[in-house]
Amino acid sequence: MTAVSLALAYGVRAAARRRRLLVLPAVTVGTGAFLLVLVLALMPAVRRQGATFGDAAAVGRAAVVVALVVLLVGALEVAIAATRSVSQRAREIGVLCSFGVPPRSVLAALMVEPVATAGIGALVGAVLGAVAAPLAGAAGLADAGPSPVSLAGGVALAVVVSVVAATVASAAPCARAVARPPLASLAH
Amino acid sequence: MLDVTPANGSTPATIATTGAVVSVDGVWKLFAMGDDVVRALIDVSFTVEPGEFVCLMGPSGSGKSTLLHLLGGLDRPTRGEVSIAGEPTSGLTESQFSALRHSTIGFIFQSYNLMPFLTAVENVELPLMFEPVDRASVRRRAVDLLELVGLGHRLDHRPSRLSGGEQQRTAIARALIGSPRVILADEPTANLDHRTGDAVVELLVDLCHRLGVTVVASTHDQRVADRASRVLRMADGRIVATEPAESPSTPTEETP
Repeated sequence: MTAVSLALAYGVRAAARRRRLLVLPAVTVGTGAFLLVLVLALMPAVRRQGATFGDAAAVGRAAVVVALVVLLVGALEVAIAATRSVSQRAREIGVLCSFGVPPRSVLAALMVEPVATAGIGALVGAVLGAVAAPLAGAAGLADAGPSPVSLAGGVALAVVVSVVAATVASAAPCARAVARPPLASLAH
Repeated sequence: MLDVTPANGSTPATIATTGAVVSVDGVWKLFAMGDDVVRALIDVSFTVEPGEFVCLMGPSGSGKSTLLHLLGGLDRPTRGEVSIAGEPTSGLTESQFSALRHSTIGFIFQSYNLMPFLTAVENVELPLMFEPVDRASVRRRAVDLLELVGLGHRLDHRPSRLSGGEQQRTAIARALIGSPRVILADEPTANLDHRTGDAVVELLVDLCHRLGVTVVASTHDQRVADRASRVLRMADGRIVATEPAESPSTPTEETP
């Protein structure tokens, strides 16, 4: 195993015990992913119905933006949870640093929590969206069902956007925690 | 079973190499406290030879913990030089010092600092957990060390299921897993009752002697100092007396 995979394996175990604290941010990310997949899958129907209000393309864009905003709020929640997490785990970080564990390994271990929270939340939400979209079509809420291609694309997009946004937003607090002098972390 | 015989068969005090394991030369540590400057360490110098068990003793605020932190690179001196295993550390970057800690230093903390989600044997493995080395041999060494500290029957216990003494013994095994030259122990018995504290210190002294590991410990506990090969008494940031442990101690400087 490489140093990175070892750090990730440690990070998974450390994150697993904190899973209850990660449910809420994961649910928010999942809600955004659900909406994004639903909106993208049902876009033809959204546009047709939007045309009755005016500009079909503008209504479609607005629906996507709303879904993306929920997704990004979820990513922000993940980052806030990561900030709280590294503060609570300061002593653990100090112990790892005092045993000379390389900072990049500690950082990789810390990043598992936000990335996994966003990834799992987005995946569950997106898959639920992919299940709900055809049901919405079948129930007559939309006048056409989604194509499998648009569903798969929507799921992939939702997961990638969530993970990238959560990674970007969480990197700074995690990196700051690792860069603190070990003594400051131990005294926490 | 772990081989606790020094490789060349010599006595532990002569194994390592020539020269001091720890060398502190004219070290000052100043802290800014608002507009004031607190002089935590004032021109401290001493050396620790291989195989010694040196105790830093003194009341709270005397500078012993600060000194221990400087030895481990957890903090840096304002002035002066700390050398570890012959290597001057003032020019080291944080990551270079981190590598030096990894290869040369083991830590024992007052509050054990075990990871609550890892078992005893995994806690012992922690310093090597992030390294792509042979996992099976690391596990064997961790098991051997836990057996040496008398916890062979507690391998899979989480810290919450270990007593304070057992947790500190696990921490001793963890400090030894990387085959360090020196162990830095910060008040290792402060959270233990007297009997458990005695047993832990006896174990630490015995094990480090057998493995040829040098120990520098800070303590309030006279009974820890009684086991030391040398006691450096500290007050107000200075070393005010150096005593061989066998000489009558002067506990008058101590405040509880």
